[in-house]
Amino acid sequence: MLITGIKSKPVYAPLAADAGGRFHLMLGALDGAAPLLRVIDELRVAAPEALARTRLLYASSPNDGSADALFGGSGIAQMMNFESIPALLAEFNRVLDRAWMGTRLYVAGPEGFIGLAMKLALDFNMNQDEIRAEECGSRARRVHCVHCRNTTEDVRTNIVLCTGCARWLLVRDHYSRRLAAYMGVMVDAEAPGELPAIVEVFT
Amino acid sequence: MTGSQTLGVKVTAIEQITPLIKHFTLARRDGAALPAFSGGSHVIVVMRGADGRVHRNPYSLLSPPGDLGSYQIGVRRMEESRGGSKFMHDVLSVGSALEIANPVNLFPLEKRGRKHLLIAGGIGITPFLAQLEDLAETGSAHELHYCVRAPEHAAFLTRLQRRLDERLHVYYDSAGAAIDYEALLARQPLGTHVYVCGPAGMIERVIATAGACGWPKSHVHWEQFTAPPVGDAFHVFLARADIGIDVEPDHSLLEAIEAAGIEVPYLCRGGVCGFCRTRVLEVDGELLHHDHYLSDTEKSGGKSIMPCVSRARCRKLVLDL
Repeated sequence: MLITGIKSKPVYAPLAADAGGRFHLMLGALDGAAPLLRVIDELRVAAPEALARTRLLYASSPNDGSADALFGGSGIAQMMNFESIPALLAEFNRVLDRAWMGTRLYVAGPEGFIGLAMKLALDFNMNQDEIRAEECGSRARRVHCVHCRNTTEDVRTNIVLCTGCARWLLVRDHYSRRLAAYMGVMVDAEAPGELPAIVEVFT
Repeated sequence: MTGSQTLGVKVTAIEQITPLIKHFTLARRDGAALPAFSGGSHVIVVMRGADGRVHRNPYSLLSPPGDLGSYQIGVRRMEESRGGSKFMHDVLSVGSALEIANPVNLFPLEKRGRKHLLIAGGIGITPFLAQLEDLAETGSAHELHYCVRAPEHAAFLTRLQRRLDERLHVYYDSAGAAIDYEALLARQPLGTHVYVCGPAGMIERVIATAGACGWPKSHVHWEQFTAPPVGDAFHVFLARADIGIDVEPDHSLLEAIEAAGIEVPYLCRGGVCGFCRTRVLEVDGELLHHDHYLSDTEKSGGKSIMPCVSRARCRKLVLDL
């Protein structure tokens, strides 16, 4: 039922430093610290001067520790800790508005967070060769209802009740970079109430 | 599109705008509208000399893209012309007939760009004149840096000043002025695209400096049409046609193939677009690559050649044509 092989489904690779960049901007949330620390280590080796032009925005979770605790000894120029992802993204928007060409963006965290960060970067016309992202932690999806256009957050099942219009939606692999969400389409339109088994698939 | 489909035009105006540049206005002979184009496009102008020699040169369209009643091009007289720019300067007069191919854009603006930084050297200003018309309509941020030898060589300056005002920066070699590329490229807002058209050295400087400033390739755009260089004569065998042809010193390989009645697809005839890429089946000497299309590995691999600008130094060259 869950159609796979759809080309718009984002593919992530492990983060790696791009020493060709002049400025390095890192965003992390939830379990995103480890890949970012790895990039910082790589930069320290490949281009030590880059650490003075590296800035980190981190949304910490209760069991994760703050940016200070995680990145305190890393030698990067600036770090900011946020209590929530929306607060981090608001600051990210301000940072992008003042950023120069030559900036590389590294994002590590759950896919929903990556998608929202990418959407902002796209608004500032950052291209794929300026952005790297690694998915870690929860694979829960943001699901855009194609009927009422509401987005249901943190979806872990193949079928979900839309928080906007209460239709049962099939979560597709069809992803919109502009909306930073997967498409959800009504699953029981032809036989109301007949639902396939609801299974947790995005864990 | 192979360039075989052409439009019949006539010269409706000629203006000498600098000591080296003439400005031509072309309109269709049948009075119909010309095809629509976007800023950065060029046309191939087909010139037939009295001696039967055919020249096909690419020229950027510099007229406003909305105006389809006529096209405008600017032609610089080249000191070492193989004949094309000399023909345009010396033979054409108002009323002369020409053939042109449909416009092609190999140098388009990136529509999603937040800012557009245009850098022109000399006659390289021409594609930007049409792009500036497009930019004025979209309202996105832009500025132009224009380098010329001396004030008398600054073509289209009044038009540029009227369009750009303080966003125009002119540098005269004669006054010792030059672009500080590092300062210019190190401080551009995210989402800026740089476009450069001018001499090879200028393009190389912009590409190298942008790279050093951390610009990714997708934000750096350039266009340089190479005139086919003059070289030693050589002989070529076209395997599928089963004929041998001679390439004279001042003819390009592409021109020699066309003169033998074989069509090769092309868009630019200047070593940029890659359409005329031809497979080399056999060569017992050196391929002289002059294009900007093949990678260094492909060039040294010796399996492909761009006949529009490249030549060979060998006794035997066999092409898959």
